Amino acid sequence: MRCMNDKKDKEKDKEQDKENKEQEYLENWKRERASFLNYKKQEAERVSELMKFANQGLILDILDILDNIYIAEKKLPKDLEKNEWVKGILNIKNQILEFLKNQRVEQIDCLKKDFDPNFHESVEMAESDSKSGTIIKEFKKGYILNSKVIRPARVKIAK
Amino acid sequence: MAKILGIDLGTTFSATAIIENGEPKIIENKEGARTTPSVVALTKNQERLVGVTAKRQQITNPQNTISSIKRLVGRRFSDKEVQNDKKLLPYELKEANDGGIEVKMGDKWHKPAEISAMILQKLKQDAEEKIGEKITQAVITCPAYFDDSQRKATKIAGEIAGLDVKMVLNEPTAAALTYGLTKTKGQQILVYDFGGGTFDVSILDVTKDPDTVEVIGVGGDTHLGGDDFDQKIMNWIIEEFKKDQGIDLSKDQLALQRIKESAEKAKIELSTTLETEINIPFVTSDSSGPKHLFLKLSRAQFQNLVKEYIEKSIKLVQETLKTAKLKPKDIEEIVLVGGQTRTPAIQEAVKNLFGKEGNKSINPDEVVAMGAAIQAGIMGGDAKEVLLLDATPLSLGIETLGSVNTVLIAKNTIYPVNKTQIFSTAAESQTSVEVHVLQGERPMASDNKTLGRFILDGIPSAPRGVPQIEVSFDIDSNGILNVSAKDKATGKSQSIRIEGSIGMSKDEIEKMKKEAQIHEQDDKKKKELIEAKNLADNLIYSWEKTNKDAGDKIDENLKKQVQEKIDELKKVKDKDNIEEIKSKTNDLSQIIQKAGADLYKKTSEQKPKEEKKDAKDAEEGEYKEKK
Repeated sequence: MRCMNDKKDKEKDKEQDKENKEQEYLENWKRERASFLNYKKQEAERVSELMKFANQGLILDILDILDNIYIAEKKLPKDLEKNEWVKGILNIKNQILEFLKNQRVEQIDCLKKDFDPNFHESVEMAESDSKSGTIIKEFKKGYILNSKVIRPARVKIAK
Repeated sequence: MAKILGIDLGTTFSATAIIENGEPKIIENKEGARTTPSVVALTKNQERLVGVTAKRQQITNPQNTISSIKRLVGRRFSDKEVQNDKKLLPYELKEANDGGIEVKMGDKWHKPAEISAMILQKLKQDAEEKIGEKITQAVITCPAYFDDSQRKATKIAGEIAGLDVKMVLNEPTAAALTYGLTKTKGQQILVYDFGGGTFDVSILDVTKDPDTVEVIGVGGDTHLGGDDFDQKIMNWIIEEFKKDQGIDLSKDQLALQRIKESAEKAKIELSTTLETEINIPFVTSDSSGPKHLFLKLSRAQFQNLVKEYIEKSIKLVQETLKTAKLKPKDIEEIVLVGGQTRTPAIQEAVKNLFGKEGNKSINPDEVVAMGAAIQAGIMGGDAKEVLLLDATPLSLGIETLGSVNTVLIAKNTIYPVNKTQIFSTAAESQTSVEVHVLQGERPMASDNKTLGRFILDGIPSAPRGVPQIEVSFDIDSNGILNVSAKDKATGKSQSIRIEGSIGMSKDEIEKMKKEAQIHEQDDKKKKELIEAKNLADNLIYSWEKTNKDAGDKIDENLKKQVQEKIDELKKVKDKDNIEEIKSKTNDLSQIIQKAGADLYKKTSEQKPKEEKKDAKDAEEGEYKEKK
């Protein structure tokens, strides 16, 4: 009788083991499936984020060219300011600015504002009538793309 | 389970990574960058800045901006290195009561570990924000030459930042871990780490057990880095301009800034191009008007400029090898770390010394943080949770018309996997097909390994291309391949089970891959020839069929012309001149199109008959005729 019971118990244990294993496998499979679906979701998010900033490198390169146009404009001799040919060349600058606007690139406004390292990079400090820490000169314009600073404005601040 | 953060706490930059779905992943900081400057500052308003914001005000607030703190962590004030660095650092340092160091930021004196803690705190917070989980544990890396006191200080920095530091891991070991190099017992690995400001060489020995790594040699120069390369280019630009225009730009801050940016850009560009332009319009002006800077810098010139630094690094590698009593040939693997190793001349110099390429496929700025994350994953048990799945080492396919190997499962596919494709017959009234299962990368069937063959017969007699035979490849989790073929019309099927096919020996796999590489060009030509022949065959066949079905409606003269072109094509078809086959096929195709147009014209003139539905859904690839 006891022997029979032992056998029955063993069979019951075996059955239980099998059931546990089945549960474990099913659970693992579900987990793997879920993690794959989550991964797919994350990838989709990553791709959309990537798309938002996919042009960043190209825009930064164009900004370097635009900087030079600004410098050229600044150095323009007075007697050439009214020259139609020069005006035409400078209109190319407006074309680039329009292009940047369409790409959702915004310029950082900084003159006379308080220095904020989130948007500005200070490269010089000088005595001034302005309040200490105020931006008194802009060396290089800063830009924001889709609410992210892609290039800080390079500025001079009041001591 | 809570995530353990992997942190590369660098001298100039830091990075963090985490294990996600079994893979290390770099975490972007709040500003959206993959690396964070290791800089801390205190503003006039007593606001503490860490990372890029601290760096952005460094020039105008040098005394309260702490950079390169790693050079001071865990050191004694009297250390020779500290005394040297003291002259170069813009902020104040003093000896602490215990003989250590304190640095001044604002009105307060801080221990270097506290400053490191501020960096770690930002890295921790940004990572928490990004992954949306609280982080309490970390693995932090440090150079292999760090002594006990420096390691302890690194650990303390972590603790101050609220992290339970599970391990202070050697940077070279982390890099080797990322490349999976610590699995082979007895392997010697050299890690060549050329960063922005420091150069480190470490030799690792994977001792008795895999994953047990011992550092058997360290060397380097704490003041040799990529910044020296930039400075060299800057000096060259200034010199060239002086030679050309007689104007010294080295005193003009604004011009210097523009030159610095151009130098950095030129260096990066020369990693991929052979020549770059340095173009700075309106760089300065004199009484004669504005001056522009325009120079061309070739990769060879650049390499010449920085030769001394590269040679110095190689000398340091040789010295480190000598101290470890090793020769270059004793090193099995080389790992390249640090942004400067993107310079082709460095990769070349390392290759020349060791006679083999260094591992460089992973971003050299991120490889250490990724290794820290892998170590964190091992410690956190993440690695155990991941179900290890294998990938097919070689492609699997079947032989199709013209003895071509048509791949169904490409190499490196993770299994279990199932792929199905529909094929058809290659001959008229073909009632059986042979499925010849192949393994390998070569396009011609005979150049690959035969895994098995079987025949599916009983296919109802039909014109070629009409029967639809579904071929399915299934690899189960044990790597057992099951290939089955089923005639969709009758439902008749046949299959073969191939065991042990996936698990080939490493040598065998490498041999086959190498052969595929060697024969790539020849194979491509052979395949193109077969394809051209198949195309010619198909064209002739389709004409013969059309002629049989509706030949009476086509102009006799056109038919004669087609036949002439067919005869010409048949003459060259079985030779191996691909150009001739293509040209004759093209001739035939043009005249057939004319005949086709004629046929349509005549048919539409007559009463339109009910169109016969053509069952041509089958794939392009057809079976070769069973012999």
